[in-house]
Amino acid sequence: MPVQGIRTVATNQNGLGAFIVQCKRLDLHYCDWYGSSRGMNSFLTSELLPRLSRMHPQVSIHISPRPNKHPVLRAHYINGREKAVCVRNLEKEQIMQKCELLVQSQGGKNRKIRGRNVLSENESVRGIWSPFHGGIKDV
Amino acid sequence: MKRLRLLRWSDTVLSPRTRPRTIISPQCQCRRWQSATHQPFLREAHSSKDVQGQVPDTLSEEHLLRLPSPPIQAASSSAKLAALHARLQLPSRLPLQVLARTLVDPSADPSPQFNNNPFSILGNDFLGYYTSEYIICRYPRLPLAVVFAAMYAYVGPKALAAITREWGVEAAAHPGGEVDPGYLQFRRVAPESDMGSKPSALISPMPDASSGWKRRGISSRTVHDDEFGDVRQSAKDKEASSTAIEGVTEEKASTNFVRALTGALYLHSGRAAVKSFFREHFMSRQLNIASLFNFRHPQRDLSRLCAREGFQSPVARIVSETGRKSRHPVFVIGVFSGHEKLGEGAGSSLDEARTCAAVAALKGWYLYSPTELRVPSEMEEPGARKWDRLLVDPGDIVV
Repeated sequence: MPVQGIRTVATNQNGLGAFIVQCKRLDLHYCDWYGSSRGMNSFLTSELLPRLSRMHPQVSIHISPRPNKHPVLRAHYINGREKAVCVRNLEKEQIMQKCELLVQSQGGKNRKIRGRNVLSENESVRGIWSPFHGGIKDV
Repeated sequence: MKRLRLLRWSDTVLSPRTRPRTIISPQCQCRRWQSATHQPFLREAHSSKDVQGQVPDTLSEEHLLRLPSPPIQAASSSAKLAALHARLQLPSRLPLQVLARTLVDPSADPSPQFNNNPFSILGNDFLGYYTSEYIICRYPRLPLAVVFAAMYAYVGPKALAAITREWGVEAAAHPGGEVDPGYLQFRRVAPESDMGSKPSALISPMPDASSGWKRRGISSRTVHDDEFGDVRQSAKDKEASSTAIEGVTEEKASTNFVRALTGALYLHSGRAAVKSFFREHFMSRQLNIASLFNFRHPQRDLSRLCAREGFQSPVARIVSETGRKSRHPVFVIGVFSGHEKLGEGAGSSLDEARTCAAVAALKGWYLYSPTELRVPSEMEEPGARKWDRLLVDPGDIVV
């Protein structure tokens, strides 16, 4: 039998062609009564919220009350995970920074970048080193 | 060459506003508007007349529950849909209403005026054409079984389902008029229903015993089979299966969605937009073509190939070896045709090394890639250079 083809699926390389922002939904929770929500409430009424949604149209933003609790930001990602940040007693600019942090995140667990090897899918120009070729020493 | 007339081709799916007024038929009296329209044309066409059938912007809940898929008004107010539009960086010429329609599977809404079936037929042709021309021009000597495998890896149902997931498209639990139009809408298969046989993981060039009629081999598949080397369903079978099975799998619905989006993109934004969409979302995926080969008798294949090409018959010779009598011997064997070394392989036995060498030689032949990659669809662009002839292999070896 001549050669057969093996069925696989090509793997995604996000950002090599199109870049898909991984955050798909951002929930903003506030409380009308708690003092820790003061910054959150002013964030919701300020021009920062429209600016956030203008800058990130690919994220759907949902605002809902969470009475008698601290204000919370909760981001949902394409990989199915979610990340929540408590923003009690934060100013509206700080909340904006937290929103940016969540929107720009990949959604995976935090990992150390230092000390990891960089792996490439492409073949090296020089080829793979072989122990059987070139400069074999006789012992 | 005459330019293609997009508007004339796509009358049935484009906005009725782009048609001349005279064509607007009295069918606009219907209560449901076509999903592909920008604006309900009741108001536009009959603004002077008194229309009793004016439908309010927000439909009542019981009306919504009766609809098989979300109404057209819901598209402009769906945050999920707008986010998807922005996430895929779709051109603004593709309206949200059409994007909503591409998310409606035929199993959810059987009416072809409201589901994505017309778009997906068109989109499938585009995906198949662009992928196949890329693979064949990039690797002109690939055996057909591997071409089918590569097609499957780029635009097969599994790949399109993965793409749908990576785009962040979620599936609705059940389709209906009250559902947010940003969800993928399809009727699910009932549990414990018979899904038919699982497609095999290997694409074999030999005739399949299970197919009812005698097929000669791999070459007949280019004519009789679909783009992945599977037996194409005849129209009769399709009707029988559609009546027998109510729902579809999520993989099938996702496949239809991606194809439909490609087709809708062509109708609304033209060929250049589809091509860049294809390049960015499909060709940017990583696939190692060399890993798609499964050889059974590489040495026999190699000698047949050499005979066809008029090379001297291949001979395996030991290039170097170490530790023949030890526990871990290593042999490096080269396959030579005359004085030319075709391939080389290392292994712990002479047989293994010889097989590796033959595989290396075959892959070296099959994976030839010209330095300059030009595809036939480049000629459709204005100001394209003159087309040079393209090398394509005469076909598979016969053993």
